[in-house]
Amino acid sequence: MAERSLDGEGSDVTVALQGPVATASYSRITVDVEKCVGCRICELACSLKNYGECNPSRARIFIVRDEDGGAVATIPVLCQQCEDALCVAMCPAAALGRNAATHAVVVDPDKCLGCRTCVEVCPFGGPSVDPRTGKSEKCTLCDGDPACVKVCPESALAFVSAEEEGLHRKRAGAAKYLDHLRSVASGPGPHSSPQGAA
Amino acid sequence: MANLYGGKILFADLTHNVVRVVPTAHYAPLYIGGRGINARLLYENVDAQTDPLGPENVLLFGTGPLSGTLFPGSSRTDVMCKSPVTGFIGDANMGGNWSAELKHAGWDHVVLQGKAAQPVYLYIRNDKVEIRDARHLWGLDNYAAHRCIREELGSEVKVVGIGPAGENQVTYANVFSSLANPASRTGNGAVMGSKNVKAIAVRGTQGVQVADPEAFFAACVAAQRVVTGSAYYPHVHEVGASDSNTAYVRSGVKWGQTEQFPAWESSWDWAPFWKQYGAGRTGCTGCPVQCMEAYRLPSVGASVISCDLYTAFSAGLANEDLELWFKMVLECHKQGIDEASAAMVIHWLMELWDLGIIDASLTDGHQMEWGNREAIEGTFFSMVHRRGFGDVLARGMRVTADYLDAKIPSERRGGHSTYYYAQQVNNNPMFGLTDRLHSQALGYAIGRRSDLISDIDPYEMTLAMVDCEPRYSEEQKAASSARLREAAAALAGIDEAGDIFGYKGKATLVHDMGMTIGVADLCGTCKWHTKFNGLDVEPKDYVAALSAGLGRTVTTEELVAASLRMRDVERALECKLGRRRENDTIPERDFDKPMARGYWKGRPGVSRDRLEEMKSDYYTIRGWDLETGVPLKETLVEYGLDDIADDLAALGILPEGGSSGAGDEPPLAAILTKEDEARRGATGHSAVRS
Repeated sequence: MAERSLDGEGSDVTVALQGPVATASYSRITVDVEKCVGCRICELACSLKNYGECNPSRARIFIVRDEDGGAVATIPVLCQQCEDALCVAMCPAAALGRNAATHAVVVDPDKCLGCRTCVEVCPFGGPSVDPRTGKSEKCTLCDGDPACVKVCPESALAFVSAEEEGLHRKRAGAAKYLDHLRSVASGPGPHSSPQGAA
Repeated sequence: MANLYGGKILFADLTHNVVRVVPTAHYAPLYIGGRGINARLLYENVDAQTDPLGPENVLLFGTGPLSGTLFPGSSRTDVMCKSPVTGFIGDANMGGNWSAELKHAGWDHVVLQGKAAQPVYLYIRNDKVEIRDARHLWGLDNYAAHRCIREELGSEVKVVGIGPAGENQVTYANVFSSLANPASRTGNGAVMGSKNVKAIAVRGTQGVQVADPEAFFAACVAAQRVVTGSAYYPHVHEVGASDSNTAYVRSGVKWGQTEQFPAWESSWDWAPFWKQYGAGRTGCTGCPVQCMEAYRLPSVGASVISCDLYTAFSAGLANEDLELWFKMVLECHKQGIDEASAAMVIHWLMELWDLGIIDASLTDGHQMEWGNREAIEGTFFSMVHRRGFGDVLARGMRVTADYLDAKIPSERRGGHSTYYYAQQVNNNPMFGLTDRLHSQALGYAIGRRSDLISDIDPYEMTLAMVDCEPRYSEEQKAASSARLREAAAALAGIDEAGDIFGYKGKATLVHDMGMTIGVADLCGTCKWHTKFNGLDVEPKDYVAALSAGLGRTVTTEELVAASLRMRDVERALECKLGRRRENDTIPERDFDKPMARGYWKGRPGVSRDRLEEMKSDYYTIRGWDLETGVPLKETLVEYGLDDIADDLAALGILPEGGSSGAGDEPPLAAILTKEDEARRGATGHSAVRS
């Protein structure tokens, strides 16, 4: 819970804010799509940690991997731990809520009806109904120590706060822009044709 | 479903359109899985009379106990049959995502038997198996067929199958998995085609069970750290095989077996191509290495490249047109043909042309000049589609040589058959690596599928190219060479083993690598994570994961024994199929030939006497008969293969008495001790790689 001092109408008021500012300091799993190579180690680790078996179809992180001929595209999909989470708001059984320690959106299996409302309203494909339990299952951040992040060999997954993620993105964007400027300034490289290799 | 196993082997009888299930437990205790169980299944299902392209042959797909798990590199499938190329064992190992999916569906192995009346494909969805009509898929290339099947069955279905080359039973056809992951060499795709099976599609949602999830997780993470902590890991992770293939070509170690075309290789470099057209790294399910390079060349399309694909259609044919090379790689994937074999066949024709032995009247008009685009493309497609001369080529080098010999006067052939000029071992076109280095010659000669790739000495191979590594400083080269030499000498117990042009002790190095690769192959994991490719995974690194997964103590000794047992089953079968010591050789023409090109040009090659001496060393280590090369009875009995010993005895090929020079030391203990010694010397940058 962060506090911020606001100046307004000449009066000195201290307001306790809830919501985005408050949760920006909680770590969540972030994805760098450009780094993901689609090895699916995260899926195997997730299912092993959470269900004691290696089974990507039960994993709470899912790699969308499309191979079309020799072209490969991969994108990890997982719960974004939204601040104003549709799944929480729409659950008819009030089975979804926040874990006090990690701020992760979690499902109470005793309350869950398995109605799939959360699955349908989530814009990201975060929750899904487990084939064995019939209940909604989703990323819990492994109680603050996510298995997927630990094993990702590409560092495409990270467990960082929203603040850190924002800064990281700004720096990455700036670096790309600088790279571009430099490449424009220096012109085409020495190896500009495939035949240049021979 | 047992821990780490699906628990079931699927036998699909295509002739009678029925499937049956055999428990994996029947084979797992002795043969573990993957190549190990495949070898045993093949022994039980083929003999000398089996026509490789007849319905009586079997095509085996095997995963291992670690397939589909968090263990690094765990999506390998071993594909085995009686080979239409050699008549002995046909075997190849492929990656991708299919192995994991099959395990998640609850199956360990798939066995194709008989022949379907019309084109079919298998669809395995967990316990449910369908043999489906594939007439609409027949004729489609691999990319299109896989796309079509995914549209039919859903995007998560994983597919392996054959392209037009397999349908047409071209002996070099492979089974294509995905990306750059075919089970190539030895004609497995032709066998699949002969059974009228286009593909096997799998979807599995049952997962792999483990006895102790927490310990298994820790063991897999530890194994992953062994891979990613290897000194060579950053290199292979960033540039894959592109740099090492540059070094191979420059050194003359790859495609260095001909003096015919002019030298250009000293300036060869893949780095600019990767820099300009690279579209990212990719690889298999469960792998932290991601050894493959994805490329997009606007004029050709997108494709993925790894390993030998770099050199076969470029350096192998003196082709400097990289657009053509890239197109041929893409076509090999689409048509489903082994690039090394196809390129070697064309290489052979080009050499015959260069020597004035063949002319355009024999090649359907193709001018088989080195690097000739029209000749390369024309010959390739005529072979895939079996048109004209291509129909002869598609039947293999032996048949082609007979055909050519009948049309060419003996004096034009220099008194030799055209077969004499072919780079082959038992009719199997050689992989690009030269046989003018001792260990490599031994690997080709005793190789379990008449190929060196899983019986290879990585120390010599790497020593030969490290001086040509484009990104290494002189200090790095010297340090790397020194460590390799020391590690090889320590492993073999002979200093000469660390000498790139020596031959003593090399049999130990070849044997040790074969044993290590065998462990990976029977676990269903990737041999590229071992010193084969400069990474540090060793037999002992599987033990913790297997123990935690199975819920019983697995020892390194047990794994090593299983690997050696598997190799003896394979050897016994090859001998049953007719292989003997005299089949274990390299092309006649290559003896006493100095290195032909590149960095080592002029250095002395391999003599027949030395090869024979190395073979004897190898047989002695293996416990095979020195005279015939057949495993000795005591060797078979030591590994619990009494029934195979009885079978060989009944066939009259089991050697009488013990003529092997097997020493007093227990072989297993000796190997393990040497391995430990070598590991101490071999860690770090001594990284051996392919």
